[in-house]
Amino acid sequence: MNSLQTWRVRASSCALIAAAVFGATLPLLAHHSFTMFDMTKRITLNGAVTSFEWTNPHAYIEIDAPDEKGAMKHWSIELGSPSILMQSGWKFNSIKSGDKVTLIINPLKSGQSGGFLSQATLTDGKVLTNGPRQEPPPAPQK
Amino acid sequence: MKFAISLSLLLASAAAAAPPDLTGVWGIYRGGPGADPKFAAPPPTPLVLKPEYDKPYQAKRAAEAEAAKRGEQLASTGAQCIPYGVPVMMSVAIYPVEFIQTPKQVTIISEAFSEVRRVYMDRPQAKIDDVAPGYYGRSVGRWDGDTLVVDTVGIKPTVSGYRGMPHSAQMRVTERIRLLSPDILHDQITIDDPVVLEKPVTYTVAYKRMPSDYEMVEFVCDNNREYIDEKGIVRLKLHEH
Repeated sequence: MNSLQTWRVRASSCALIAAAVFGATLPLLAHHSFTMFDMTKRITLNGAVTSFEWTNPHAYIEIDAPDEKGAMKHWSIELGSPSILMQSGWKFNSIKSGDKVTLIINPLKSGQSGGFLSQATLTDGKVLTNGPRQEPPPAPQK
Repeated sequence: MKFAISLSLLLASAAAAAPPDLTGVWGIYRGGPGADPKFAAPPPTPLVLKPEYDKPYQAKRAAEAEAAKRGEQLASTGAQCIPYGVPVMMSVAIYPVEFIQTPKQVTIISEAFSEVRRVYMDRPQAKIDDVAPGYYGRSVGRWDGDTLVVDTVGIKPTVSGYRGMPHSAQMRVTERIRLLSPDILHDQITIDDPVVLEKPVTYTVAYKRMPSDYEMVEFVCDNNREYIDEKGIVRLKLHEH
């Protein structure tokens, strides 16, 4: 057994079990599983943010953006919690209402206009992911 | 000279006897390729439930797996923003835990759901039946050499269990918390429940010290858009504008 396999075997949280199923780069949810989202599908949303909610148990981006067929819709996009997001560079004011952003999301399996954030490109071009990924951490310090 | 040597020996023995200071913020440490194997959490022992508890437990796990195949999650306490309690709160995803150690009390705060445990160092444990069942129960601690041993009783049976296991009001959680190096901490957690378990189960959570300037993040669940529908499935409430 190599060290990556060992790491996976030792995974104990729901998020890590999910990571073992979907691959080692799944984001983290403390609060519920990913099952309602289609983690194999990605949709890109280009639109204007109507609100950014820096709240628990999740942050949300509300955005007006066209769907894949070009029809304008309103979308509710779920992010990790502020705690998790801060570990990958987010701040409470990273996004403001009216910002034009590009979001890559995993859509709801139900087909409703909602999803789970994979990656956000902000107005200044900065790219932020939805919290740290479950990639093996670097070697410990001496 | 003789006095100086005696004094230094005295100080050295006092230092050896003083318990280590666990105060600080600790992130979940998962090891990974290239990590020093001695810091990795050892694998858990098997979870063996008594047959009358194992059958419904396995049925629940199977139902959860079936629902997941349909793309659905069955209701869980976490999805309803109900705290995890002892011992699950010690390892929630990658949320750090903070230890604040004083001679009379060790306080442990988990960033997820801002859960708080108090470990009393200066008093004996109560009888299980005298502790009001709750999420954190009653914890008392003592030092066994360099190891903080924490005894917890009084966890309410509805509090989510390790790997979703059922547990009774008779559950006892014993933790052996020890620094393996200045920056690596292990919490070896043993769950004993004579009603539910055939034998105690032990698992270990490994932590790595967070940077000294890390500030714990608050976690108040005031915007939970997940709800449980009439079929017991977790759904996401969407905003229309």
